[in-house]
Amino acid sequence: MIFLRRQVPLLITLITGIVFAAQYYVPHPASEQMLTSVTKWLQIIGGFALVLGVSSLFHVHAIKIRRKEAGWGYSFVLYVSMLGTIAVGLWSNGKEAVDGTMTAFGWIYNFMMVPLQGTMFAILAFFIASAAYRSFRARSREAAVLLIAAVIVMMGRVPLGEYLIPLSGDISQWILNVLNASVRRAILIGVSLGTVALSIKIIFGMERSYLGGGKE
Amino acid sequence: MTFAERMLKIDRRIIFLVIGFCTLLPLLYPVGLPIKISPEVRGVYDYIESLPEGSVFLLSLDFDPASKPELHPQAISLLRHAFRKNLRVIAMTLWVSGTGMADQVVTQVAREMGKESGKDYVFLGWSPGGTAVIINMGQDLYGAFPADYNGKPTKGLPVLQGIASLRDVSYAVSLGAGNPGVEAWYVFGKDKYQFELGGGCTGVMAPGLYPLLRSGQINGLIGGLRGAAEYETLIGQKGKAIAGMDAQSATHLAIIVLVIICNLFYFSLRKQAKQQGHSGA
Repeated sequence: MIFLRRQVPLLITLITGIVFAAQYYVPHPASEQMLTSVTKWLQIIGGFALVLGVSSLFHVHAIKIRRKEAGWGYSFVLYVSMLGTIAVGLWSNGKEAVDGTMTAFGWIYNFMMVPLQGTMFAILAFFIASAAYRSFRARSREAAVLLIAAVIVMMGRVPLGEYLIPLSGDISQWILNVLNASVRRAILIGVSLGTVALSIKIIFGMERSYLGGGKE
Repeated sequence: MTFAERMLKIDRRIIFLVIGFCTLLPLLYPVGLPIKISPEVRGVYDYIESLPEGSVFLLSLDFDPASKPELHPQAISLLRHAFRKNLRVIAMTLWVSGTGMADQVVTQVAREMGKESGKDYVFLGWSPGGTAVIINMGQDLYGAFPADYNGKPTKGLPVLQGIASLRDVSYAVSLGAGNPGVEAWYVFGKDKYQFELGGGCTGVMAPGLYPLLRSGQINGLIGGLRGAAEYETLIGQKGKAIAGMDAQSATHLAIIVLVIICNLFYFSLRKQAKQQGHSGA
């Protein structure tokens, strides 16, 4: 059993890791054909992952409802909404509109999901304003620099700011293009090197946490 | 409690009210201040403008309804521009929750511009796999999407004539609200399959994509509602983004004023505390 639980996944990881890292540099038709096949598998696995995610969500919320844990009512709403949407979606053949006429699934999408998600995102503006008022204070020199940069960028990104302070547009452009881009690039390089290191550790079996726990 | 202390602990509902008014009033009474075009938005516009008629333009609408206010106007402007230039448009999404919205925007603009599905454009819809879909499209477009969103087989569609994979795409733009989005299209698409790539994103994401822009990994970037308003200005068709710019101007200014006020009270409190400390000593 240990062989199936540990050695086989490690072997698969080692072989596929090395083969597909090398594949990138081999433009031979056979190598390309192999990539085509494997990306199809990936898409199929992606579809299964969706089923797995939905079933896991059902499972977690079913436990909450059964045990009547705090907030189980929300889980119930989630259950009803999900089952309702799946049923209506299947009935409408997954289409929001047929020949320009909105289906029931389209109605749920347009009049429930779109406004709900839009509302969630829109209220962010109110919370950002409140949080800025409460916490955006020049407590130190670093905080003051951040504050000034933020004010300039906020001014420079809107026509009113550029109208009141014509230079704010160019300065904010410089902040974004030079200061921001260089710092972001440094972070990106750091993250990428970390990813490469982690990938090598996974391929060569030094990092095994993806195998999960359980009895050996 | 002093006045400054009271002001620093002001009821947040007052701030909400201020922001609400700053959003609503300019929408009701627009001012229409001129919008300056940034080089990153011009990059996308100029590239589409330089494409000859019949070139293949891929638009990936990688966002969900939460980002609709910012990315929907970008999608409308890009589609109008591409259709006006008589490009062959391939639209798709990597976000399942954005599929219906993407279909609506593509169909709406195509109808407005008198374009025909299958002949002038195709909406491929969504396919599972996230970034794997990009690689799959790079290897074999018809393998990734055997049928379009309406169930028509993609093989044989006039709009896809001569297109086998992403290598045959003249220009791709990803309007991304997260992952998979612009970065994924660069890493898994442009880098390997060698097509020109532009990006569009929400305002909060834009600073994170500047390294890609500066290094030439993307040739242009439409950032947030401002970017959409710039694009609407460039194509000469006023839309929701230009209408929303006044509201955004007012809210930005309100937040700046709030931050300045809060800092004034904060420093007055600090001064008071220092003075009390001196007198106590």
